[in-house]
Amino acid sequence: MIGSLFVVSGFEKLIGPYQNFFYVIQNYSFLPLFLTEIAARLLPWFEFFLGIFLVLGLWIKWTLRAVMALLLMFMGAVIQALIRQLPITECGCFGGLISFPLPVILAFDTTVFVFAWFLSFRMPEAQCCSMDRYFAKNENA
Amino acid sequence: MSQQPKIKVTFLIIAFSLAVVYGVKFLLGIMPQNTLSSVQMRAKGDKGAAIQITEFIDFECPACARGAEYLGRIMAEHPVGIRLELKYFPLPSHHHGFLAARYAECAARQGKFWPFHDALIARQPNWSRLTDATPAFALIAQEVALDPGRLEVCLNDKSVDALIQQSHLEGERRGVKSTPTYYVNGKMVVGVQSLEPELVRLLAEIKK
Repeated sequence: MIGSLFVVSGFEKLIGPYQNFFYVIQNYSFLPLFLTEIAARLLPWFEFFLGIFLVLGLWIKWTLRAVMALLLMFMGAVIQALIRQLPITECGCFGGLISFPLPVILAFDTTVFVFAWFLSFRMPEAQCCSMDRYFAKNENA
Repeated sequence: MSQQPKIKVTFLIIAFSLAVVYGVKFLLGIMPQNTLSSVQMRAKGDKGAAIQITEFIDFECPACARGAEYLGRIMAEHPVGIRLELKYFPLPSHHHGFLAARYAECAARQGKFWPFHDALIARQPNWSRLTDATPAFALIAQEVALDPGRLEVCLNDKSVDALIQQSHLEGERRGVKSTPTYYVNGKMVVGVQSLEPELVRLLAEIKK
């Protein structure tokens, strides 16, 4: 489920011009220009591949950690925007698909983070029906 | 224990995913784009200007208002260097955006687009807060001396809505997601913060 969210979010940003996501990041006003450009170009790819690896259950341990790091970064950006009362009405998280107000997305990201954190301590359950388990079985065979 | 098969599969998945993304981008890029012919009355500046700007605008968007003020200032400073053409892109989240575009197009059909546009932008903080902005738009129409009879006919003319929707569709096909989105000599620039350095750079190049 978490993986699907990231796949859709990343894919939607990747198929459109990167300038749209650049504008979204710019509105949060927390990165210098050159880092905003780098983030706008690379972050969607990161989201997309993390999502794919989660959906397929590949390198789950590292993917979950990367997802949690990414979510922490998103939450940090939203929290500083709320504290500074920046005039952002929509988060821009899913490109143009759907958009949520900042408090809603903060609650959502926190929930997903907690879920991912919980899963990281329950690897056997996290690896259920995963490619990681398939490869582990084949290595042991 | 060898993880080679797993690593190989990982690279295959990455390669396949890259192919899917670039394939979709390619297909979207070759889809026919419904390009509207320029309407003289929604454009200003010298036709042969070195800097050609097309802006997708929502009149209820505060960032568009800031962009309009900035462009007004810059074009006054460089009267022959810049040409600006506006295209309608009312956002669903702005309740009066479509109506504002309708009134603006009707003003264009009476040759008074820019006076109407300037008044709309200047008073945006007022009318955007109203439940019904029609009286505010009617007042602006009166102030810029639009013919009331022609205005009423125009506001009920389905071709106006069709033009606005076509303009919106063109924006969507070009990847516009938010306003203001500018195409500066064909290069996409989103937001005034990105427009300013781009224009400064181009204006400096013209001076050389």
